[in-house]
Amino acid sequence: MTRSRIDWQDLLFGLFLVAVAAAALIATRHLVVGHAADMGPGYMPRVVSFGLLGFGLFFCARGARRAGPAIVPVQIRPLLAVLGAVGIFALTAERLGLAIASVVTVILAGFATREGRLRETVPFALLLSCAAAILFIKVLALPVPLWPR
Amino acid sequence: MELFDNLLMGLSTALELNNLGLCLIGVVIGTAIGVLPGIGPIPTIALLLPFTFGLTPAGSMIMLAGIFYGAQYGGSTTAILVNVPGETSSVVTCIDGHEMAKQGKAGTALAIAAIASFFAGTVATVIIAVLSVPLSVLALKFTAVEYFSLLVLGLIAAVVLAQGSVAKSLAMVLLGLLLGLIGIDVSSGAARMTFGVAELSDGIDFVPVAMGLFGLGEIIANLERPAERRVVSQSIRDLIPSRADLRAAFPAMVRGTLLGSVLGVLPGGGAALPPFSSYALEKKLAKDPSRFGKGAIEGVAGPEAANNAGAQTSFIPLLTLGIPANALMALMIGALMMQGIQPGPQIMTEQPKLVWGVIASMWVGNLMLLVINLPLVGLWVSMLKIPYRLLFPAIVLFCCIGTYGIANSLFNVWLMLGCAGIGYFFIKVGVEPAPLLLGLVLGPQLEENFRRAMLLSEGDFSVFLSRPISAVLLTVVAVLLLALLSPTILRTRKEALAE
Repeated sequence: MTRSRIDWQDLLFGLFLVAVAAAALIATRHLVVGHAADMGPGYMPRVVSFGLLGFGLFFCARGARRAGPAIVPVQIRPLLAVLGAVGIFALTAERLGLAIASVVTVILAGFATREGRLRETVPFALLLSCAAAILFIKVLALPVPLWPR
Repeated sequence: MELFDNLLMGLSTALELNNLGLCLIGVVIGTAIGVLPGIGPIPTIALLLPFTFGLTPAGSMIMLAGIFYGAQYGGSTTAILVNVPGETSSVVTCIDGHEMAKQGKAGTALAIAAIASFFAGTVATVIIAVLSVPLSVLALKFTAVEYFSLLVLGLIAAVVLAQGSVAKSLAMVLLGLLLGLIGIDVSSGAARMTFGVAELSDGIDFVPVAMGLFGLGEIIANLERPAERRVVSQSIRDLIPSRADLRAAFPAMVRGTLLGSVLGVLPGGGAALPPFSSYALEKKLAKDPSRFGKGAIEGVAGPEAANNAGAQTSFIPLLTLGIPANALMALMIGALMMQGIQPGPQIMTEQPKLVWGVIASMWVGNLMLLVINLPLVGLWVSMLKIPYRLLFPAIVLFCCIGTYGIANSLFNVWLMLGCAGIGYFFIKVGVEPAPLLLGLVLGPQLEENFRRAMLLSEGDFSVFLSRPISAVLLTVVAVLLLALLSPTILRTRKEALAE
């Protein structure tokens, strides 16, 4: 494994925690904190956020000072295809119905790998769409439209 | 004999026709996802949760439990035949199991793995039944103070005993707790961190979080690795092991079962830790340790028994005290809450039919697994021929539909999308997502009990130390945390988990 001069894994995780803690502290700044015997709704969020902030700063400091394993480079193709597939499902499911949404989702997800062939993915998507319609709408009675409204 | 009465009551629940059917569905799905690398029990159970609404509480728990221990059986098949662990718990089975397969003894290895699992499953069922009664009596003494301390112990121990950096896991628990706080505060009615999103006022659903973090995040990361899945086609014969094989394997089976049972009960236990410990133990006890890695039958029997026993005894804390030992049990708690059952120390006295039904169903399920796995092994092997490039789009689709199905809300699908991205980020920075799920599920209970305890003691924190049970629990927490600072233990832990 290649190593880098600073521990990016620690540093990035630390920054992430600091960001989350800061967002939580800002979002709950108007809530009543109260005190131990009579806790307000803001008590626990504040305690937990400060804990997270502490951990975040600790990881930032540790990451910046020591060497660590290099992060395996991000491959954009699977990331975009899988997230995109979920996104397209969310956009189409209620408007175009489950049948069409399923086909589009599977085809888009198929782009995540170079091995995917449209010749193979398209029939497979149609098959899965039928299976999903039968399983989720007929058997499990999920209240989602099958076709565009 | 209260024990037999209880077990009989459980059996009568487990043997109801629809519960038998659900158990069968559970173990078949479990075996299937166990055989297939790349899909674990956590996303599967999360995916199926929305569809357990219509079932009875006992029926849904029986099915979900079947998925979990069924996956332990299925994982070994892939490990032996393909040298790829179907589940993390079968990593060690690859070592000697695949070596046996290479020597033409695949049938024996599969049979020993299944028999060891069945033996362990049977013993573990009895252990659960025996331990449950005293634990539930103890549990009745619990007030908010003790319950809070128990939750803390559960969370800390789960972190200490699980894989990965302890500091990072603790941070993940806090992150989970924070997410668990989202929603309308029960006692004051104030909206917390809902950012004006109406769907968040009931709190964040853990199903999309689990599916995003465990299911989708992992898929993205899997796709980055070069695909190398070759199925060793080999005719499988000799499914009945010889007497000599059985004699060699039996002591390892017994030791594996005991070790697995103990490690399974501990928070953070479950199916991952026991097989490693069992393998190490067998190697240490063997007259000729050099046989290990070259097809030693003990190296299959011990770990396989251990992972199955551990998978089952990890239900003990859940069924008696209502706290989860690992992320999977956290999902089970979620399943119970969806059914309107508040998990907690009272669960056993209030829901005896449910608890004993689930316990008895484990034995029934193990019997089914033995039948499903040995004669039908060819079927499972042929499932391995489904290429991943077809498998993962199907998983993505089912995750989407399943997440939508919990509350028929597209918001949950978007939430899953976000969690998938975050899950991928966690994999990139080398952080285990499991503690986050524990924190998320336990967060609301932790806060509620903490507030109630503080209210009772009028804000006096010493109440956690002045009550004996709570003091003992917190002492264990302190010992665990202090032990981590000791360099020798740190090193052993690293070795034990890295092996």
